[in-house]
Amino acid sequence: METTAWLVLAFPLAGAILIGLLAQHVPAKLTGYLGTLAIGGAFVSAVLTFLSLQGREEEARQVVFVGWDYARSVGVDAQISILVDPLSVLMILVVSGVSTLIHLYSVAYMESDQGYARFFAYLNFFVFSMLLLVLAGNFMLLIVGWAFVGAASYLLISFWYRRTTATKAGIKAFVINVVGDVGLVLGTYFIFKHTGTLDFLGTFDSVERDFEGSTGDLTAGCLLLLVGAFAKSAQIPLHTWLPDAMEGPTPVSALIHAATMVTAGVYLIARMHPLFEQAPAAADTGAIIGAVTLLVAGTIAIVVTDLKRVIAYSTMSQIGYMIMGVSAGAYVAGLFHLMTHAFFKALLFMAAGSVIAAMGGRQDLDSMGGFRKAMPYTFACFCIGGLALAAVPPFSGFFSKDEILLDLGAEGGWHWVLYVAGYVGSLLTAVYTFRLIFRAFFNDPVPEAQELMDGHLHHPAEAANPATGETEDTDVGFPGADHHIAEQSPFMRVAMGILALGAIVGGFIQIPKVTHGLESFLDPTFARSEIEVEPSDGLIYFGLVLGAVLGLLGIAIAYRIWVQKPGTSAAIQARLSVLHKLFSNKWYFDELIELVVVRPLSWFGRFGQQTFERIFVNGALVGGTTGLVRAGSAAVRAVQSGYLRSYAALLLGGLAVVGFYFLLQA
Amino acid sequence: MNGRKLEGPAIDFAGLSPLLALLGGAVVVLMVGLLRGRAAREHGVPALSFATLAASLGLTIWQLDSSEELVAGALAIDGLGTVLNILFVSAGMATVLLSWRALAPRESAHGEFHALLLTSIAGMVVLAWSTNLVTVFLGLELLSIPLYVLCATEMRRATSLESGLKYLIVGSLGSAVFLYGLALIYGATGSTDFAGIAEANSAVGLSSDPLMLTGIALSVVGLGFKASVAPFHQWTPDVYEGAPTPVTAFMAVATKAAAFGIFLRLFDVALIDSATAWAPALAALATVTIIAGNVGALGQSSLKRMLAYSSVAQAGYMLAGVVVTSGLGVRATVFYLAVYLVMNLAAFAVIIARERETSLGDDLAAVEGIGATRPVLAWPMTIAMLSLAGIPATGGFIGKFFLIDATVDGGYAWLGFVIVIGSMISLAYYLRVIAAIWMRDAPAVAQSTPVPAGPRPALAGGSPEGDAGPGSVALGAESPPAQAGAVVYGGEPGGGKAHWEVALVAVLCAALTVAAGVVPQPLFDLVQRCGDAFTNLV
Repeated sequence: METTAWLVLAFPLAGAILIGLLAQHVPAKLTGYLGTLAIGGAFVSAVLTFLSLQGREEEARQVVFVGWDYARSVGVDAQISILVDPLSVLMILVVSGVSTLIHLYSVAYMESDQGYARFFAYLNFFVFSMLLLVLAGNFMLLIVGWAFVGAASYLLISFWYRRTTATKAGIKAFVINVVGDVGLVLGTYFIFKHTGTLDFLGTFDSVERDFEGSTGDLTAGCLLLLVGAFAKSAQIPLHTWLPDAMEGPTPVSALIHAATMVTAGVYLIARMHPLFEQAPAAADTGAIIGAVTLLVAGTIAIVVTDLKRVIAYSTMSQIGYMIMGVSAGAYVAGLFHLMTHAFFKALLFMAAGSVIAAMGGRQDLDSMGGFRKAMPYTFACFCIGGLALAAVPPFSGFFSKDEILLDLGAEGGWHWVLYVAGYVGSLLTAVYTFRLIFRAFFNDPVPEAQELMDGHLHHPAEAANPATGETEDTDVGFPGADHHIAEQSPFMRVAMGILALGAIVGGFIQIPKVTHGLESFLDPTFARSEIEVEPSDGLIYFGLVLGAVLGLLGIAIAYRIWVQKPGTSAAIQARLSVLHKLFSNKWYFDELIELVVVRPLSWFGRFGQQTFERIFVNGALVGGTTGLVRAGSAAVRAVQSGYLRSYAALLLGGLAVVGFYFLLQA
Repeated sequence: MNGRKLEGPAIDFAGLSPLLALLGGAVVVLMVGLLRGRAAREHGVPALSFATLAASLGLTIWQLDSSEELVAGALAIDGLGTVLNILFVSAGMATVLLSWRALAPRESAHGEFHALLLTSIAGMVVLAWSTNLVTVFLGLELLSIPLYVLCATEMRRATSLESGLKYLIVGSLGSAVFLYGLALIYGATGSTDFAGIAEANSAVGLSSDPLMLTGIALSVVGLGFKASVAPFHQWTPDVYEGAPTPVTAFMAVATKAAAFGIFLRLFDVALIDSATAWAPALAALATVTIIAGNVGALGQSSLKRMLAYSSVAQAGYMLAGVVVTSGLGVRATVFYLAVYLVMNLAAFAVIIARERETSLGDDLAAVEGIGATRPVLAWPMTIAMLSLAGIPATGGFIGKFFLIDATVDGGYAWLGFVIVIGSMISLAYYLRVIAAIWMRDAPAVAQSTPVPAGPRPALAGGSPEGDAGPGSVALGAESPPAQAGAVVYGGEPGGGKAHWEVALVAVLCAALTVAAGVVPQPLFDLVQRCGDAFTNLV
């Protein structure tokens, strides 16, 4: 098991390095296969790890493997160690599994891009970082993985680096992620200060004893960890980077901004649950933010008209469910939703990529329609993903979302508010999901769809940035000329097909009162959790029925507005213009951050640059020190005359000074 | 005590074996060097020399766990001794490889060159093992005198001869001062034995005795000279620059290790009770050293000269580990010595390789653009520079971290700040090398003679003023660029020869530098052994 667990990390790292080194020397196509193979190897290793973990006694299913000690002195126990337990194994299975399929999809999708090898090197590096994040056995490696993931995300969002909107989005994502990194590091400091160990299990073992009488520090530490989690998982108010991150290539959106990286926050809270259980204030904050995010994101998703951004907001909203769940103690349910969401959201993005390809790179919903007949395979996949997202039984999302809300309802107390918010969000989800499907696939075919039905792929006359309309060439740094495969490649079909299967059956692993696969698998990790709920039968059945009804109701509403009576939507917009404005401006979060954070800081920065920097720093500090150093350098060189007699003189002079000093002591 | 001496001391030959191997090897090498066959001299001698060092290394590792007196209170083997021994011998092995096809042994005869090298290493071993003022001085001279000669082995180059002579004169002055100091300490305490000195010091309370204090002052200066502590460092740039580069590499790393070994032993064992008197003085000297070394290195265009000043600065860092008089300080110093060894050897190996490949000598221009043309050399140099500057993921970072931790722990936090400020200044000249490697194109005329052989300055090291272009390079004391016909051997500078063993040393040392930064634990474990000699420290 030790070997396979390390191999999980070794394969993607080797892949990234190998592709980076070979890129210049081998045909580009090969790098794609190499990258896919490397991640496939990681997945196989993950499965083997899973099998050998299951072969162990239940008590022995939390194992730390130490590669080597990085530095075990001066009070720090920094080790290169990984923690293999059901939680990390679940994560590596999901991450490496979904990643393999997305690599496969990318082999076809990115085929005409000039930066093909670079793309796979980045993508492999991302997978390595993500696996490092989830396998880390101590805070140090967690932070390393956390920061690597942010860096990989930056590289991939800005992959088309000559496109201004993409580089700006990359920078925004990176800056907000660094805010999260700082939170994570400071949080670690607060915790480390009391426990004196970086090791996870060591920290958890003694958390009650270490923080006796200083719960304030623990709460502060957990809140800072939450800042890290919110930034990675795009929770309010650190969410604004995620919709912009859709500037990256679609496989990147599918992998990083749907299935893996953005769920890191959920993983973090689940991993740190022994700490959060001792710091209820922090846990409650997480749950409330999760609930607010899921509602706010749901409302925005209803009005946004960019295909990928709708899915991005839906991701935010679904992660809101997970954060709410794990913060409120519904660990298994939260991770269950994480898993099913990885399947159906990656599927939705892949299908969206197919549609965007058919549209010649444009993502605007307003100019789409009628793709049902043109792309039946994509349509089927989109519907499966949509039904799972809208939580219609028996698709996977239905069971996982139901599980979260069920646990919240059973906990009672003020968690009822979260329960209600969850169901309201559920209705919103169904509406925006099927708004997407109805607008893109139903009604009359647009010219692009017609062209595809005639057996020809649409190509725009000249390549342009769909966001700004600026013309672009097809050289490296921009999307390639033939970026338009539109479901025709077998690789894409295979990847989408497997995920569709997962989106359908993934929920059966954990059905109330029937199966408990995930719960019993994850039990060793959460065995010592103090939160124990036993929902009543009534609540179970009520929840199942309510969930199914709300899902179907949402679809019906969407059908009524966007298919039966086109134009209803405009009427509603006119009547509720205030709300529509609020939603379509994304609740003015960008503006709020601009006003509260960016403007004061940039004013302060300008002041610092113009006044402080120019006069004090440049003039006195830098000028003064460099002058001093220069003068010192000149003095040292002047003394270095090359004459032996002067050397001897200085030696004796120095001796005199030293001797005099010592004699003063007498 | 006198009665026992008559019986003759009990000698532990097993413990002494690493030293005996070196001395025996030196004799054999000297003899083989007399053979007529060219192959025997040019390849047999270095091979034998290497084998001797390897044998000594093996014997050291065999004796790794022993901790006992070897020769009646004169020498003792312990953790510090064996660890330093490993450093000396490794540096020696690298030096043998670097000088295998170098000019210096050819000019001075191979047998002599290697015999001197081995003797010098034997002197270091004696120094590191000595527990007695007499053996300290014996070891010091045994290591110094062969080095004076080694510096002058490129006999047809004036700067080499000059560096040897300078080193001899200033070195003799330093030795004299040191000897005077030892004599006064003996006079004050009545004992030449370290344990005896410590005992007398604590029993009688000599901490304010003028005789004792003068003795300490003189030995501080004498040792400071050997370790190139400012203001007794001035020989360093001139000698480093003038000496044949393999010898410079050896001096830079091995002599420093030996000097700090005895610094630790003398001050942290014998004179520990006078710490209140000498610690502030050493701290002040460390500060002066760090500043003088770092600002002196700025603007040097000769790489060897730059590394000479850098070695002065590094001596200041390590002196901080002595100042704090703690077990942590000892370990930090030894750890840094080990890291310092590999990173400096990597840098010097690259300089040697470029000296042989181009006619630019050790000028910064010699490494310009090698990132594109010679990545095998560019990477080790880059790693060495980053490590010397203390960038994370290199051994230099961990070493500095360890030293700073020791200063803070020992109540000398301000000295830690000085180390940090010194490192900041040092980036200016280390990064300049990296920029030259990666960001400039190779000079187009790298193979031709860049400066006419004009009248040579009277003295080496005269006014190495800044980076003011090639003119000042010619004025500075850099090695003369292959005056055509003056030297007819195959390995002369500018011969365009790429020698694999030099690249091997560079790559190996760079790899070790990175390893020490990524997996430092084995080195920590090794260094941990040094503590047993310092029972009186916390």
